[in-house]
Amino acid sequence: MLSRVANLIYWMARQLERAENTARIVDVNAQLVLDLQSRQAADDPRSWEPLVYVSGEEEKFFELYGEKVTERAVVEFMLFDRRNSSSVLSCVSLARENARCVRDLLAGEVWETLNTFYLKLKDDDFARYAQLGSSEYLNRVKAQIQLFYGVAESMLPRSDAWWFFQLGRHLERADNTSRIIDVKYYMLLPDIAAVGTALDIIQWGSVLRSCSAFEAFRRSRRGLLSLERVVDYLLRDAVFPRSVVFSVAQAEHALAQIVNGADHLANNPASQLAAALRIDLEKTETRAVIAAGLHEFLDTIQVRLNDVHVAIQETFIEYATDKAKVLA
Amino acid sequence: MPDIFHGYDHGRFYDEMFAAPGRPRAHYQRLHERFSRLDSMGNLLERQRTADQTFVNRGVTFTVYSDTAGTEKIFPFDLIPRIVPAHEWAHLERGLTQRMEALNLFLADIYSDQRILREGIVPREMVNTSKHFRREMVGIPVPRNLYVHINGTDLIRDEGGVYRVLEDNLRTPSGVSYVLENRQVMKRVFPNMIRDYHVRPVETYTSDLLALLMRLAPDHVLEPTVVLLTPGVFNSAYFEHSFLARQMGIEIVEGSDLVVENDRVYMRRSDGLAPVHVIYRRLDDDFLDPTVFRKDSLLGVPGLVDAYRKGNVALCNPIGTGVADDKAMYYYVPDMIKFYLGQDPILENIQTFLSSNANDLGYILENLPKLVVKSVNEAGGYGMLVGPHSTQAQIDEFRAKIVDNPRNFIAQPTIGLSRCPSVCESSIEGRHIDLRPYILNGETIKIMPGGLTRVALRKGSLVVNSSQGGGSKDTWVLAADDHGQSQSQSQEGPEKLIV
Repeated sequence: MLSRVANLIYWMARQLERAENTARIVDVNAQLVLDLQSRQAADDPRSWEPLVYVSGEEEKFFELYGEKVTERAVVEFMLFDRRNSSSVLSCVSLARENARCVRDLLAGEVWETLNTFYLKLKDDDFARYAQLGSSEYLNRVKAQIQLFYGVAESMLPRSDAWWFFQLGRHLERADNTSRIIDVKYYMLLPDIAAVGTALDIIQWGSVLRSCSAFEAFRRSRRGLLSLERVVDYLLRDAVFPRSVVFSVAQAEHALAQIVNGADHLANNPASQLAAALRIDLEKTETRAVIAAGLHEFLDTIQVRLNDVHVAIQETFIEYATDKAKVLA
Repeated sequence: MPDIFHGYDHGRFYDEMFAAPGRPRAHYQRLHERFSRLDSMGNLLERQRTADQTFVNRGVTFTVYSDTAGTEKIFPFDLIPRIVPAHEWAHLERGLTQRMEALNLFLADIYSDQRILREGIVPREMVNTSKHFRREMVGIPVPRNLYVHINGTDLIRDEGGVYRVLEDNLRTPSGVSYVLENRQVMKRVFPNMIRDYHVRPVETYTSDLLALLMRLAPDHVLEPTVVLLTPGVFNSAYFEHSFLARQMGIEIVEGSDLVVENDRVYMRRSDGLAPVHVIYRRLDDDFLDPTVFRKDSLLGVPGLVDAYRKGNVALCNPIGTGVADDKAMYYYVPDMIKFYLGQDPILENIQTFLSSNANDLGYILENLPKLVVKSVNEAGGYGMLVGPHSTQAQIDEFRAKIVDNPRNFIAQPTIGLSRCPSVCESSIEGRHIDLRPYILNGETIKIMPGGLTRVALRKGSLVVNSSQGGGSKDTWVLAADDHGQSQSQSQEGPEKLIV
């Protein structure tokens, strides 16, 4: 397919996945804050500040909202603020713009699902969020995105367009799940003594729930909730669809489908980087990673995911014309 | 129950449906009976709403881009068809074919020997000062010697019902997608009537167009790749671009999707560069190649013109056709027909005054309130003055413009365009219409039976352009002159055919 169109679809998928996970990150934090309330006021800056860092947009946030980190400021910034290019509204809006450009490739219902969602979302604000309660509001946002995936899944032919969609979606998911694990890391940072306490266990339960992983974790028979077991599950579970390794494997599969039949792309750097990352994750010992520093490890994963992204752009989208393969 | 045509004002114009109040023309009789049987206007309006909704659902829309809306407007559609009897169409077909032949010969001539200029039939100055004349193309051969492939000639009927040519559109005429979609909708709303009337189908247009495009590819290419080049999703005609690309099963590309290497054109695909042989471009010459034409164009493809000159890629329409739809050049088309074909024009122009001609200029300036003045290079109803509907200030403004640049204007008497009954809010009223047939010049000249009937839905308006509040009607060209009477009825006259 045309490189431009492939890129539009790839980004559409990334933006939607990011929107969903941003909603999940806000959700897990709102739940963590509730768990913490016995000890801290909800307005304690420590309750909401971690989100700002995890999103990677802290400079923008402090520029727009000043130093005082309140729930309201963070929620507005992460859900509704168009000035934040990673806010849910920005992501959905960009995804819709891309979808509009490739409407021909999408079934009518796929476009309509996204368009209707956007038209509703753009009028929402903090008041609406507060009125419904964070959990209910964020559930609705997630459900709308899930609806889009469902419609797309049942309507789109499994051609290149579909595989670029899958590629974007799973790379973004791998990145985002690593960031969700990081939220908990930040929350614990000031209070390392709490590890293993009842509160700690509640908090890890919340992290799992934000990835819709709580019940799946239980069924995987990994036993009691603990830092190591939860991190291992979200990082390395081979069958849970939001785990980092599963997502990377899906991206790898999508790449294999895209280059299927094109011999000159058999050993492309994007596929190689994705495969190397998956293999390293499979070999990772979670206990050792935690001992050496979980945050640093997650950072490395995010950097390597970005390397895959850059390789995708250079292989399929922005390749140099003079060196490109001329097709028969 | 009142007849829904009761009280219809026939007006002082040629009415397509009624020969006189209450007396429909022969080819409208069946439709008149059918509509008269409808209970009331309400029934008709309900069908109109069904039709409108069908357009929305099918996504037949103009993109009116704005973030909040996400809305797109439908091109207003009127349920009452324009019916063209077979003998009238045969006449139009002959006239349009003749005109297309002459225009192709004219373009071939001025981009090679320029015989018509040397013999003084068309003033050399006229060509040299035409904004769309491309000197760069003189002496450059074109595939199959076809200098123009697609023309949308606008026809009108004057007060006497005589069909006349209003203008030619030889660059990137639009609107054909509406013709095809209008028919789809009419088939749903009035299936029986379409069958009974023996309406000639329009559906082969996209196959004919694709065949034409494939034929333009360089000879050695057995399986040519054809693409449609669009300015992009925000262009108001994007619906049509994507519609035609889908119908023909070709890729729709933007300028940034194409690259030129060694004077060959490729499209950038995720798996590499795929050769492109024919480009159906919906982009004006000016924007095609920033290294040759407008330097600031971001829509085009650097190097495209060189690839075209070398014959490695074909463009449809070719570069430089715009010189022949310059509205001042229109004045000379009847002379071209005589010069190249030795024939009298079958379809007449509208009387036209050139302000670059000293005698005409005096007449124009004295009679502005009676005339329609058009700027020679504009389309879409822009840059025109309709004298009888204008204020003194508007007239004075145009007078100054004409004096300042006479070459840039022509004037024509205000023609009372024919009217056709149309569904208005609570009644049926006459509205002015024109007709744009689409003429393809490939192996032979093929004209889709019918074309886009545009209707000025604003009361009294003579401007039918979609950008100026116009809508459209389905155009029914009848296969035979029996006017859809059932076959069991006795036929009269020697020319009656039953299909």
